[in-house]
Amino acid sequence: MKIKLLVVAILFLAQQGMAQEWLVPEDQKNIENPSEYNLANVKKGKDLYLLNCKSCHGDAGKNNGLPLVPPPPDVTSDQMQANTEGELFYKITHGRGGMPQFETTLSEDDRWRLVNYIRNYSPDTEALLVEEPPKKAKVLASVNEAERVVEVFAEYQNKDSVYVALAETPITIGAQKAFGILPIGEVLTNNEGRAEYAIPETLIGDEQGMVTLVIDLGEGFITEDVVLDASKVGQPKPTPVLIKEEVLWSTNDNIQTWLLLSYLAAVLGAWGTIGYVVFQIFKISRAGKEE
Amino acid sequence: MMEKTKSPEESRKLLDKITFDLTRSIVKRDELTHFWYFILVMFAAVGLWGWGIQIRDGLGVTGMRDYVSWGMYIANFVFFVAVSLIGFLISSSLQLLKISWSKPISRVAEQIAIAAVALAGIIIVMDMGRPDRFLNVFLHGRFASPIIWDVTVVTTYLTISVLLYYIPLIPDLALLRDRGGDDIPKWKMQVYKILSLGWKGNDKQYKLVAHSMRVLMILILPVGLSIHTVTSWLFAATLRSGWDTTIFGPYFVAGAFVAGAAAVVILMYAYRVRYRLGDYFEELHFDYMGKLLVFVCLVYLYFNINEFWVPAYKMKTAEGIHLRTLFTGSYAPMFWSAQMLGLILPILLMLFPFFRKPLPLTIISVFVLIASWLKRYIIVVPTLEHPFLPVQNVPDYFKHYSPTSIEIMITIFSFMAALLIITVLAKMFPVITIWEYAEEKGIDKEILAEPKK
Ligand code: HEC
Repeated sequence: MKIKLLVVAILFLAQQGMAQEWLVPEDQKNIENPSEYNLANVKKGKDLYLLNCKSCHGDAGKNNGLPLVPPPPDVTSDQMQANTEGELFYKITHGRGGMPQFETTLSEDDRWRLVNYIRNYSPDTEALLVEEPPKKAKVLASVNEAERVVEVFAEYQNKDSVYVALAETPITIGAQKAFGILPIGEVLTNNEGRAEYAIPETLIGDEQGMVTLVIDLGEGFITEDVVLDASKVGQPKPTPVLIKEEVLWSTNDNIQTWLLLSYLAAVLGAWGTIGYVVFQIFKISRAGKEE
Repeated sequence: MMEKTKSPEESRKLLDKITFDLTRSIVKRDELTHFWYFILVMFAAVGLWGWGIQIRDGLGVTGMRDYVSWGMYIANFVFFVAVSLIGFLISSSLQLLKISWSKPISRVAEQIAIAAVALAGIIIVMDMGRPDRFLNVFLHGRFASPIIWDVTVVTTYLTISVLLYYIPLIPDLALLRDRGGDDIPKWKMQVYKILSLGWKGNDKQYKLVAHSMRVLMILILPVGLSIHTVTSWLFAATLRSGWDTTIFGPYFVAGAFVAGAAAVVILMYAYRVRYRLGDYFEELHFDYMGKLLVFVCLVYLYFNINEFWVPAYKMKTAEGIHLRTLFTGSYAPMFWSAQMLGLILPILLMLFPFFRKPLPLTIISVFVLIASWLKRYIIVVPTLEHPFLPVQNVPDYFKHYSPTSIEIMITIFSFMAALLIITVLAKMFPVITIWEYAEEKGIDKEILAEPKK
């Protein structure tokens, strides 16, 4: 057993070692970052990071990136921070292997803002975005189907380890969809730690209109998301099976009648006439036998 | 412009000369013929070998990848469909309009039509990754798909073209059967005997031939128009920049006449020189063909201006990227040389009588024909290189298409096979309809039916 583990570990390390160094052209290395290193830019960079990069690179400092080969390094890691700004920009722009290019999807400004965000964790620069240590919290939530509201109550553990109402804090409401959680709205808790969120009429659920709601406190708190299973607050999902309709490009089962008839008429017309001409050829042959 | 009926004596003499001249292609068999066959068969065989490799290893041996999935094969297919349309113009439209100078040319046009449309069908099979599943097109085809319409119309057009070639050939076959010299190989005589269906040349038979031809000429009008219009729909019925246009049908048809007319001129010239048919494909015919070519080129130019200038005025995002690669980008050399050398310059030159003489016109036609081929390539490939969604995370060779040697080999096969079909037709059957020509010259039908002394 141990030997097996060892083999696996060695193989793993060997593969790591094989990950080629990512070379950046000399003239690109020391390009200056045109966007200023300030809180606004770092914050924007963070938003961009959460949207575009977190799915692979994970949360800053948590080393929880996707297990790809080679792995996407954590933004706080030495490997990431060893890059110059120009190198970061080049790598984000062009990508390599599992790392996509962002040249065509993010503007140049945004890519520089991402560089600023990564720089926030560099040992050589002063961190602008300081995150407080997360606090423990509890969230209770229920849904009132008749009135279509979500009622939330939140508490957190204060310095004295006592749970008190969590006031004036944004709470995100999302709907569970096939490919993740779709954020549908946000409410602020009041002074008693309570909030009411009115579910929009337009929310679409499954075929029966059932929606699984997810209530999330967001970053800075340690809690489990509250998941409210299948409540009837959405519109039933329309499920058009396009191929089952009579559309121009449909299957033979659903072909438009006029189209089928036109096609068949044209084919029969042409081949009927061809048949007629072939028959004339027989007649030519027969006429040769007459006197 | 029928000539007066001649005296029997004169008629017989003239008929002998006509038959002698027009059977020269059938009789003639010298070193050059062997060499020509050798070249054709060798290159065609090399192409077939390439196809063998493609069947063994799959379509991966071509340059086609996820983005560009229609390459040289489809461009070549569109080219052959285009060329085949000349049968529709010359053997039907002009005949129905009773334009008599075009009569001797109509069999030449029909030869080209048959060869081209047959090859168009074969090329499609060669573009299939699994040709063994070819029959599924007929068994499971969707009637709503332009591809099925195209398959239908190509087979229909091929059948009509063969009939339109065969029926006016019957009296000629009988003529050869009855009057053919000893220098015609026995097996050919045997073929004539079978195919002439016991032709006697009585009034009833001539009437039946005339009637059948009329029916076919009328039938080929809608079918011919469809064949290239439907081919254009394969492109125009999609949303891609460069294809998403409403004039594609007539644009393709006009372009087809240009390609086909050029092919006819070249073939006429080859027959004129090789079989010494200067008295039949006269300067006058070249002059008229030159004028016809100018005319169809002008129509095509008009469509080209619409096709490129109108979207260029707007330069919508995706369309703009596409147009820029054509006008100034990587396809600019091909695009501009096709437009200039294959369309504008020929139009200007052919306005002068000198350039409508046989040799100059043939040289011009060669340019026009090559440009027509390039034009199809420009229609098919660049559009596919510009999809609407960004191309990401794919190897570089997915992004640009260039044909591999296998594709080039198979494309060369198609040219050689088409020439082979034309050659065999020319070697088997007269290249001009003898009886029609004789009738035109005032020779009585009675004399045609006379057996050889
Ligand atoms: C699809 C997953 C994925 C996404 C999304 C992604 N990356 Fe990466 N990233 C990777 C992988 C895998 C590597 C390692 C690539 C290698 O070394 O070949 C990497 C490497 C990097 C590197 C180079 C680290 C080094 O070794 O020097 C940087 C910088 C980087 N990513 C930044 C970003 C940024 C910024 C974003 C968001 C805009 C992002 N990545 C989005 C997967 C991803």
